[in-house]
Amino acid sequence: MFNVQGSKLSTLFILLICMAVLLVSGTASAKLTAKANHDHIKIDFFYHGNTVSVSGISDPGTDLVIKIASPESHEALKEKGKVGGLLWMNVGTMKFEHVSNLYSIHSTKKLDELLTPEEMAKYGIGYKAVEKQAVLDPVQNDEEKAKWFSEFIRFKEKSKLYASSIGNIETKEKDGEQSYYILTQWPYQAPPGDYLVTVYAVKDGKVVDQAESRVLVEQAGIVKTLAGMAKNKAALYGLISIVSALGAGFGVGLVFRKGGGAH
Amino acid sequence: MYLYLPVALTSINILIPVGLGLAVGLLSGLFGVGGGFLMTPLLIMFGIPATVAAATDSNQIVAASTSGTYAHWRVGNVDFKMGFHLLIGGFVGGLVGVQAIKILKAMGNADFVIKMTYVIMLGVVGSYMFIESLNAIRKSKNKGEAVKPAETKDNAFTRFLKSLPLQTRYEKSGVTHSMLLPIVFGGFVGILAALMGVGGGFLMVPVMVYILRMPMHVVVGTSLFQILFNCIEVTFLQAYTNHNVDFILAVLLLLGSTVGAQIGTVFGRKLKGEQLKIILAVIVLVVTVKIVFDLTLTPSLLLAQAGGH
Repeated sequence: MFNVQGSKLSTLFILLICMAVLLVSGTASAKLTAKANHDHIKIDFFYHGNTVSVSGISDPGTDLVIKIASPESHEALKEKGKVGGLLWMNVGTMKFEHVSNLYSIHSTKKLDELLTPEEMAKYGIGYKAVEKQAVLDPVQNDEEKAKWFSEFIRFKEKSKLYASSIGNIETKEKDGEQSYYILTQWPYQAPPGDYLVTVYAVKDGKVVDQAESRVLVEQAGIVKTLAGMAKNKAALYGLISIVSALGAGFGVGLVFRKGGGAH
Repeated sequence: MYLYLPVALTSINILIPVGLGLAVGLLSGLFGVGGGFLMTPLLIMFGIPATVAAATDSNQIVAASTSGTYAHWRVGNVDFKMGFHLLIGGFVGGLVGVQAIKILKAMGNADFVIKMTYVIMLGVVGSYMFIESLNAIRKSKNKGEAVKPAETKDNAFTRFLKSLPLQTRYEKSGVTHSMLLPIVFGGFVGILAALMGVGGGFLMVPVMVYILRMPMHVVVGTSLFQILFNCIEVTFLQAYTNHNVDFILAVLLLLGSTVGAQIGTVFGRKLKGEQLKIILAVIVLVVTVKIVFDLTLTPSLLLAQAGGH
């Protein structure tokens, strides 16, 4: 008797917990969705970058932050410095660990107005958060790290791999839902790989929900064939390159034969 | 129209490489230089990674120098014997130069030595050629006829050269030298070229003109012949060991450079040796000044992709 009552109670307790979890998650998210229109970009012979739009639905009144990034990796860049107080040249290599090759962040308002620094660091939102998790070598102190990280951002922005924008996300409210849309330029400098699009719903300085989508960038056709050959059949690739150049040189020479010989 | 470059991993407007190829090919046909000292920095400027720029340039020089050598050979301006001896020296010199870079890198001052070698060599060669050809042009104007500078000079240096063993006649160039001379100087240029990461045409041309005393038009043809073989070797090594040759970029460049080399050859035949020398000297000096500016002005970015100089 006691046992039966005990098991009924525990079943009820589990049910209540399940309902509570459902309710909590329901109020916070249920509605946030994210979709990238080009989730499979093919790099073919005439590829010159692309546009990628991210759209979805969120709770009315929430602000949004959209992050597009490649997986974290490491990079080694040449560091320029003055030699003898006069001449600029490469003075060493600066290594950057835990940084993405491509990183772009778009938000409905200034990030500082939307999120606390702790929250940004937690989700890797914004250049400051990227800086916090990045490890630079060799740097002596935080000041040097900040200097070289800002150089890193300038270098990346120049090659279009890093970008940030405020207020470019369009939002519309209809039937108690908020739809959002942003069109971003996908740089041709971005190498093949798997890229993650994360949309964060933000309220009262905190991330209240997030949704993800992926963009796969792949080489196709002649670009894929040549890139593969250059790597895997290097000797044959080298010979073809040389023979083609010799052939072209002779070919043009023959075409110009009359012109060249006449003088 | 844009094309995507599979090894450089970037997209480029086809007019840029075709135009660059045409301009540099023109210089190649005119002066017998590969033009790497101009082309590689220009390609980097247009967003090609430094390592791919240098490797792909050597591939397109194979085409431009084939086109140029063929054009010069048809009018009898290639001294194959001399070219072959220079090649032997250049090949050995290249091997020595590559080892020298390894030692310098281990010592930690490779970049400084490379940059300084570049500026000093370009500056000295450019200035000497400029002054010498300016004097020659002045003299020929005064006398109303072309002069053959220094050919008649019989100083200690030429006497020393004549005393060397293995003297042989280079028929096409009309000179007699010890075959050690082109081998040793070819080797010297090979070392410097490997150090600077360039083909070395702009060094080889003055060596042939001032040390080997060859006529300018034969110098251009023979230099191109020599460059052709060097660049075949470099292209293969770059493709095989570093995977840095971009076939599509090379094709775009050679579309321009092969035609440019032919036009250059035709123009070159209309100019006198001194005129050719002085124009080449001016180009070399302009490049020197540009490098000096790059070294002294604060760069816009303090970080750069690894691989270039």
